Amino acid sequence: MRRYFLGKVLQAFLTLVFVLLFNFVLFRVMPGDPATLLLRGTSNFNPDTVEQVRADLGLDKPLPQQFLTYVADTATLNFGESFFLRGRPAREVIVDRIGPTLLLVGTSTIVSAIVGLIIGIYGGWRRGSAFDVGSLGFTLFVYAMPEFWFGMLVLMAFGAGVGPFPALFPTGGYDTPAADLTGFAHAIDVLNHMVMPFFVLTVAYLGEYAIIMRSSLLDILGDDFVQTARAKGVREKQVLWQHAVPNALLPTLTLTLLSLGYVFSGAITVEWVFSWPGLGWLTVQAVEAKDFALLQGLFLLFSVAVIVANVVADLLYAYLDPRVRAA
Amino acid sequence: MGSGWRRVLLLAMGVLLIGGSAMQAAFAQEASPADDGEKVTFTWGSSGEPSSLNPMSGYLALDFYFWTASYHLLTDFDQNLGAEPGLATSIDVSDDGMTYTYHLRDDIVWSDGIPLTADDVAFTLNLYKDNHAYLPQNYLTMIDGDVRVVDESTIEFDSIHPTSLYSGEVAYMYDYILPKHVYEDIEKPKQFENVPNVGSGPFIISEYEVGQFVRMVRNPEWTGEEPYVDEIVTRLYKNEDALAEALRQGEVDFVYLTSANIYNSLQNETGINTVAGTIPSFSEIGMNTGSAYQEPMGDFVPHGDGHEALTDVRVRQAIRMAINSEELTDRVLLGYGIPGTTIVPPVSVKGARWEPTGDDLITWDIPGANALLDEAGYLDADGDGVREMPGGGEPLEFRYYTRTSEQTSVDAAPFVSEWLDQIGIKTNVEAISSGRLGDIINEGTYELFSWGWIPDPDPDSALSWFTCDQRPPDGKTYGNNDSYYCNPEYDEMYDAQRAATDPAERWEIVHEMQRMYYEDSAYAIMWYDPTFQAYRADRWDPESFRPQPIDPPGDLLESWGGPSDVWLTLRPVGAGGGGGSAETRGISAWVWIAIAVGVVLIVAAIVLGRRRRVSDEDTA
Repeated sequence: MRRYFLGKVLQAFLTLVFVLLFNFVLFRVMPGDPATLLLRGTSNFNPDTVEQVRADLGLDKPLPQQFLTYVADTATLNFGESFFLRGRPAREVIVDRIGPTLLLVGTSTIVSAIVGLIIGIYGGWRRGSAFDVGSLGFTLFVYAMPEFWFGMLVLMAFGAGVGPFPALFPTGGYDTPAADLTGFAHAIDVLNHMVMPFFVLTVAYLGEYAIIMRSSLLDILGDDFVQTARAKGVREKQVLWQHAVPNALLPTLTLTLLSLGYVFSGAITVEWVFSWPGLGWLTVQAVEAKDFALLQGLFLLFSVAVIVANVVADLLYAYLDPRVRAA
Repeated sequence: MGSGWRRVLLLAMGVLLIGGSAMQAAFAQEASPADDGEKVTFTWGSSGEPSSLNPMSGYLALDFYFWTASYHLLTDFDQNLGAEPGLATSIDVSDDGMTYTYHLRDDIVWSDGIPLTADDVAFTLNLYKDNHAYLPQNYLTMIDGDVRVVDESTIEFDSIHPTSLYSGEVAYMYDYILPKHVYEDIEKPKQFENVPNVGSGPFIISEYEVGQFVRMVRNPEWTGEEPYVDEIVTRLYKNEDALAEALRQGEVDFVYLTSANIYNSLQNETGINTVAGTIPSFSEIGMNTGSAYQEPMGDFVPHGDGHEALTDVRVRQAIRMAINSEELTDRVLLGYGIPGTTIVPPVSVKGARWEPTGDDLITWDIPGANALLDEAGYLDADGDGVREMPGGGEPLEFRYYTRTSEQTSVDAAPFVSEWLDQIGIKTNVEAISSGRLGDIINEGTYELFSWGWIPDPDPDSALSWFTCDQRPPDGKTYGNNDSYYCNPEYDEMYDAQRAATDPAERWEIVHEMQRMYYEDSAYAIMWYDPTFQAYRADRWDPESFRPQPIDPPGDLLESWGGPSDVWLTLRPVGAGGGGGSAETRGISAWVWIAIAVGVVLIVAAIVLGRRRRVSDEDTA
């Protein structure tokens, strides 16, 4: 087990090193010069200004030197200053958004996993029933549905108020600016801002869990050990919850853990619709502006989160399923 | 089903019902206007993000709204973009036109109580020059040496040649004056965040949450006219649909929009006024006038592979004639915006723009364009609908790039392409990222592209972009002159307008430069961009906004200047209170508590019900 554990951690570390090297190259081969992208079209600037911006951003240095700076910065978690948010250290910009991102995407991932799994379990268990047919249709629909489209509908319904829907919630943002709320009142304000994006994400995510859980459970229900349990006279509920579900959960465990790894990446379209200050839309802005400082910080965070989630999934798998360990 | 769990379920439903009623009550409460006498907050929304709140490094139009409320310019912009005294009350110019003495106001105090003196002014201008502050240093390039302090309220500097740009007759020096006592101790002033700031205007920046809002509060040391507003909050949205909804719901009082469709949806809404203004901005079809064919000059070496036909001014003029700017503004901008002609937009400092009329005006004329091309020898010899070079050479088949990030650029392409097709020019349209297009322009590997500019109100910046030395020099390096236009006569006139000491003489040269560039048609300017504005007229007095310019109506929040008067005139309806939108929306804490209790009870009921059933099954 120890060897297995060390092997997985070493593998994760090597993956991380590769990702970091790859990121350096990837962003620099993207078309466009960051300084020009920042300034082109703005009022009064000249090529000298572009050169000055390049120098200020450290882009005038040869690539090997930039690479060494990149490695040193990454090692010390000091990614330099954001290009498009001048005066803000990239680390600070990222850290500021981790909280809102985890709050929104984290909670909706967990809730959608729980609700999705329950729907999948009941659907699979009562295969062909009205609930199964209805829930399968519903989950397939929400799985295929574009998040931003659903987000816009929810925004129109509960942010603006259409027909019977009351305009209950704020149209965007994390909290009410300049309202000077603190403590419980602030928490309620954040909750009000979070309701719509949380609802949209939860509905959008749960389809995936429900569908995978359902099909996984159907596979398991056909296995011999389930038939054996039934033949032994084990009650149906026990067959489901003690024999079938624990085995059917294994594939969904991977999905859930990987999804938790992706929580840091935010939810680009939903953040866009509800102006939520998350890491997803920040990444889009950073890519558009070729903001190397922000990108290297963001991708380090995303890579570490996904790799750690992978390692945890591998180790949990080994714990839950001895066959993996043996292999 | 046992009676115990049924009771719990009934209780849960009761709690939810009470919660629902409370929700309605809470909602009704939230919709009521703020009471009189409360803090007056003006909240406006934008779908962008400031690049920086530090005048040394900010470069976006959005950034200026924070500086117009917080800092002084030496020479201010008036409502029609003319010059008016700012911090400098008068300016003396030496007889040789090369030494400028600025007499400054002595009654301004920084928000931390320290007086604003000539020391601050000289320090700021030298700081901008020495540190190559991105935008501000561009206005100081004609200053020879340092700016000197003469006494507490006087500064002086020399220029490298005589010019009218520093004489105060035009608002050229767009340099916000910063507090020396704050900036002198900062090791990297361009990287300074400047939040909270020390300002000299009626408001100072107190808080900035990236991606969320910027908050400005009253400057406690402001001695000018008292503003009606206590706070200005800028909410940063990411999409314009939400921004429009926020205005409808009263979460914001004022919005800027870029989408004509969303703007149209706000028209005729009760309590909302809409204004489609115009700003100094244009969108063009740029043509590669010959990056590969021009002579080496200075750093410039010929590069790229643009089509040779575009070196011929008659082909470019034919393209200009084939583009119907009126139809583009009608169809692409839904009737907003102004059809484009010259590189100095209608919204510019007074007197700067040349308006082509009569024979000078190149009107939409497909037969005329065809005749011009026929006459120049570009004929369709093989009858495939595409003209060839004179003598039957290469066909006139052009690469035409639009930008994916600019929807109007993409939307205009089918029209332009169709019109060019009618004059025998085939185009291969491709939408690409701004970064990629920037590289392609530097390489000179294009024929046509669509992009835009936001020039200063003074024409100097727009005119400077098209001198020969501004061409991308070597295929890799950036240059402003993206059409590779090079005309020594134009360059001479550019220098001459900078050196003219009489503004009338300068405008004459500036007009001639516009005429020349328009006639040479390196750019076919499609339109001057609109700015869409909407505000809550039921909360804010429409008369208290300050459109700049007044006619055609421009920016209602007077974004050129320092400090801008709008921050003093802006007042809520029924002056004194009632305006503002800092109140929270959503359902109240009690409703949330009721919902939480209800959910807990329902879960408990389900769990209890399950246990009961299991227990019943066990005993059965």
